[in-house]
Amino acid sequence: MNNYSIKISYLLSTFFIVLILTGLQSISLADEGKSIDDQTKEISYLLMCPVCQGQSVGESNSNLAHDMRDIIRKQLEQGKSKEEILTYFVSSYGESILASPPPKGINWLLWLLPGVGIILGGVVITLFLFKAQREDKNEDSQEINTQPKMDNEYLNRIEEELKDNDS
Amino acid sequence: MKIFSASGKILVLIIILGLVALMGYAIFGNRVNIKASPLIGKQAPDFTLRTFDGQELNLSDLKGKTVLLNFWASWCMPCRQEAGALESSWQRYKDKDVVFVGVNVWDENSNAQRYMSQFGGGYPHGLDPNEEIQIDYGVGGVPETFFIDSSGNVRDKFTGPLTEQIIDYFVLKAQKPQENES
Repeated sequence: MNNYSIKISYLLSTFFIVLILTGLQSISLADEGKSIDDQTKEISYLLMCPVCQGQSVGESNSNLAHDMRDIIRKQLEQGKSKEEILTYFVSSYGESILASPPPKGINWLLWLLPGVGIILGGVVITLFLFKAQREDKNEDSQEINTQPKMDNEYLNRIEEELKDNDS
Repeated sequence: MKIFSASGKILVLIIILGLVALMGYAIFGNRVNIKASPLIGKQAPDFTLRTFDGQELNLSDLKGKTVLLNFWASWCMPCRQEAGALESSWQRYKDKDVVFVGVNVWDENSNAQRYMSQFGGGYPHGLDPNEEIQIDYGVGGVPETFFIDSSGNVRDKFTGPLTEQIIDYFVLKAQKPQENES
């Protein structure tokens, strides 16, 4: 196995590891066995703070985010599930309150396009490496073919010059 | 080293631009169709407000009347700006089955009382002590105003300082029968 084959297999395995890790990241852990504090924190990170720029309710120190965390806790204490609490906030603020857009309608694009981008990127890298490998092989074979020719030319010239000197 | 021919490069560029355009559409494209509030056209969340004069006010008791529900805070400059319009509109509508209700949020009681005496007007105001009413209504800032029709449905939401013309427009709209919104 030459250097390029090693590089290609290296890159392909990295690419697939990244794909698997991206997939694993989206799998959420079960709520069972978590304390109210942990569940409040988890849900608060699933909601965007409506008055902050790009901050979740869990990250924000605004009054509204504080109130929202209190309401999440209160609803958990009342026995409501994570889905029920998220539905409550969506019914008040709309879907834009969710940190991750639900995978439906046009939102599917947001879920699929990063994967498509990664796959296309992988294809381009693979093509690039295969092409580089092929061109390198061609260059090597050209060098092997031209080397003796060059040597012969020099040898002929030396011989001719020696003959000239002798005569 | 050439990876793509000239036409291949153009194709890759088109694919990349297409992906970026789709992503942009997915992020920003559907925002235009989002209503100002998901509550519009739905039953207004009920609440019990403890008013500053010690009374209890239930929204459900106001069925049959048009309700202007205004969220405000004493530190909010646009709230001061709209106070005059709210007061003069209330004077005009108070005998026409239109009820104005003020909900004070994110405030100190003493500051709210001071504000009330200066800008409060004659209609009932109350404190949202657990900040639950404002979250039920999806309030993100002040001032925000909801217009509720006589059947108890939220008809409109307005964000920002009101003027008398804006109040007239939404109150009259809320008094008209609701069209079926699909």
